[in-house]
Amino acid sequence: MSRLPSLKRKQPDSGPSSVALTDHERILYNVIRSKRDMGIWTRDLKRESNLADNVVNKSLKSLEGKKLIKEVVNIQNKGRKHYMAAEFEPSKEITGGDWYSEGILDVDFINIVKDQCLKHIFRQKVATFDGVSEWIRKSGIFKAEITQQQIEEILRALVLDNEITEVKSTGFGEFASVPIGRVCYKCTSKSGHKGEPKAGAMASVPCGVCPRISLCTPDGIISPGTCVYYEKWLDF
Amino acid sequence: MVTQNGIKFAVHLITNHFGNLVSKVCENLLKRGPLSLEKLVKFTELTKEQVKNSLLVLVQHNCVQAFTFDEGDDREGAKAITEYVALFDNIIHRLRFPKFLEIVSQELDDECVELLEGLLRDGRLTLKQMVDRASQGKENPVAMDFVQENLRKLLAVRYVERCPDPEPFVSKPVKEETTRKRGAKSAKTDVVPRQTMEQLIMEAAVLGEGIRFSLPSNTESNADGETNADGSPMIIDGTSQAESTLWRANFEEFIRRLRRKALIENVRARLDDGAAVILSAILESTKTAEKKVKMENSVPMSLDTIFTEVMKTEFGRTMTIDRVRASLIQLGCPSRMLEDSYSIDLKNVLELARNEEVESIVLKRYGKDAYRIFRLLSKAGRLLETDKIADSTFVEKKDAPKILSRLWTDNYLHMEKLALSTTKSFLLWKVNNPVLRVHVLDEMYHAALNLSLRMAFEQEKDEELLTIPKDKIVGPIQKRYKRLRNVWLLLGSSLMKLDDALMLFHDF
Ligand code: SF4
Repeated sequence: MSRLPSLKRKQPDSGPSSVALTDHERILYNVIRSKRDMGIWTRDLKRESNLADNVVNKSLKSLEGKKLIKEVVNIQNKGRKHYMAAEFEPSKEITGGDWYSEGILDVDFINIVKDQCLKHIFRQKVATFDGVSEWIRKSGIFKAEITQQQIEEILRALVLDNEITEVKSTGFGEFASVPIGRVCYKCTSKSGHKGEPKAGAMASVPCGVCPRISLCTPDGIISPGTCVYYEKWLDF
Repeated sequence: MVTQNGIKFAVHLITNHFGNLVSKVCENLLKRGPLSLEKLVKFTELTKEQVKNSLLVLVQHNCVQAFTFDEGDDREGAKAITEYVALFDNIIHRLRFPKFLEIVSQELDDECVELLEGLLRDGRLTLKQMVDRASQGKENPVAMDFVQENLRKLLAVRYVERCPDPEPFVSKPVKEETTRKRGAKSAKTDVVPRQTMEQLIMEAAVLGEGIRFSLPSNTESNADGETNADGSPMIIDGTSQAESTLWRANFEEFIRRLRRKALIENVRARLDDGAAVILSAILESTKTAEKKVKMENSVPMSLDTIFTEVMKTEFGRTMTIDRVRASLIQLGCPSRMLEDSYSIDLKNVLELARNEEVESIVLKRYGKDAYRIFRLLSKAGRLLETDKIADSTFVEKKDAPKILSRLWTDNYLHMEKLALSTTKSFLLWKVNNPVLRVHVLDEMYHAALNLSLRMAFEQEKDEELLTIPKDKIVGPIQKRYKRLRNVWLLLGSSLMKLDDALMLFHDF
């Protein structure tokens, strides 16, 4: 995965003047280049350039050979061939963003970062965003560069997981080292272990999580008396 | 919020407690709204006598209230009509009787528990009936004074009240309320009018504060109508009154009490013991100022007063004023209070608890990715676009639409389509809390009904076990017996826990 999200543009305004191109190649190249970091699907390219299929295919090969264009994976449509001028880095819409690697969400990497952040917060009891990012920078546990924005995204996801809670410092007790009112993060579970939050009353009974609840009636085919979920639940 | 499954559950409770005839009458009232005796006879196809007796049972147990209104307008010939309205909340409260008794056993003595037990069992009782009840099976009859003293204790904390007006006059024909504004916001209006109508009638029936919790005396008279110095209810003159006055449990006060408990326990779980102690002290010292059950904010108090109250508890004595102030901030009070009057947003505490309950259903039913998505939308409180949702929750872009649609099909999300052109459109999603809450509550009633049905089913299945004498319960029978006991314990405790959630969504 390219962990450098920023748009990299080499010689942004230089055209392919130094390389000899056929007319067809030039037309195609201009269309592709005009799409900048979004790239273009071959079918759209054919339509916009108004060239015959075989001409397009041949010219694309040649342009690729001259290293003027490259094929890119578009996360929205992995089956469709997309081309982009070589000087552009695919935009987030195309790659899926920083957390995607070759069009696939890099779940393993995400989980490692999440785990590490969680452990750090648990050790600290209370941690601020600045604290977490400084620790990541200094500790050097990740080989790849992790941007501030990525750390922010990880913390936000941990909040959504209910692994950590966002709280404001009261300046008291465990918050003593954090100025009053500053946003900080705490582990939700007191043991610091990752885990599911306590199941509510409804989620603890079979009907609360039953996919067939709307079909279940006292005397119907699906009923509390004949229910397989209950059978399992009450199997002492 | 009276939902379809809510009605089914209420009818089920009534059937369990009073049989089919009574429940048939009750079901018609719940489904059709207030009805006259004639109409009830017509709809239930029972005899007039049967309907009348059923109504008497329901009124006795505070599940139905009669009321009159003038049919027609003010012109001459307006005729007073009597109708009956089912009191949905009171019917469901029957499930909570053990909780009410538990409260009294914690706060008052055994005699009070016994008195309340009688009231819950029989619905309404006069003082004389209470004395008779207390004397049952005893060698010497219990003295009236003794029972009266216990009644006085229960009245002082408002766990018991005088029965409301048996047939109040309601000035407007209530019917119009039900047909008000249909259409546009149908999901909401379908459920609201019923509640308003019930409230309207109950407001007309309720007695004034002074008389509601006061004991008529046949010994002394205290005609100037003042509260006694110690705050106990004043004694109102009326020798004959004392005989005929009917008393009942005051459900409203119990619910208020359970609400306070839920608030404190929620704060303890989410924050810490300190915050819970402070909230408890605030609620305890201002409980008489609570006018309605669903108080949105606690009564404002100064930091000094709060501190004084907190000091009264054992845990509180360990706290410094800075610690109290810090906890108040945690409880959502701004760090700098003008006027120094702290008030806690109780509504918000309960809102968070409701969110948690719904989220935990989402997690168990739809998995971790759906949970994260749901929490994102719930926190955002506005429409978000599919890709944005996938990005913020680390869900594969191609998986997000599937999860979102599932939640939408099951009524957990609201969806809007935004067409940019004929070929390109976006899907936007959000959590529509008012609609979702009603839906979840309805599923909870359904789950409660199923738990209760399953209990009956298990009992029926192993009925003969219950008739076997204790010393014969050995070997394989013992195994079955143990299983039945475990099943009962699990089903029973689950139902009580689910009932806490029902109260959280409906009564608090
Ligand atoms: S009784 Fe069984 S089938 Fe019916 S809703 Fe409950 S779990 Fe589902």
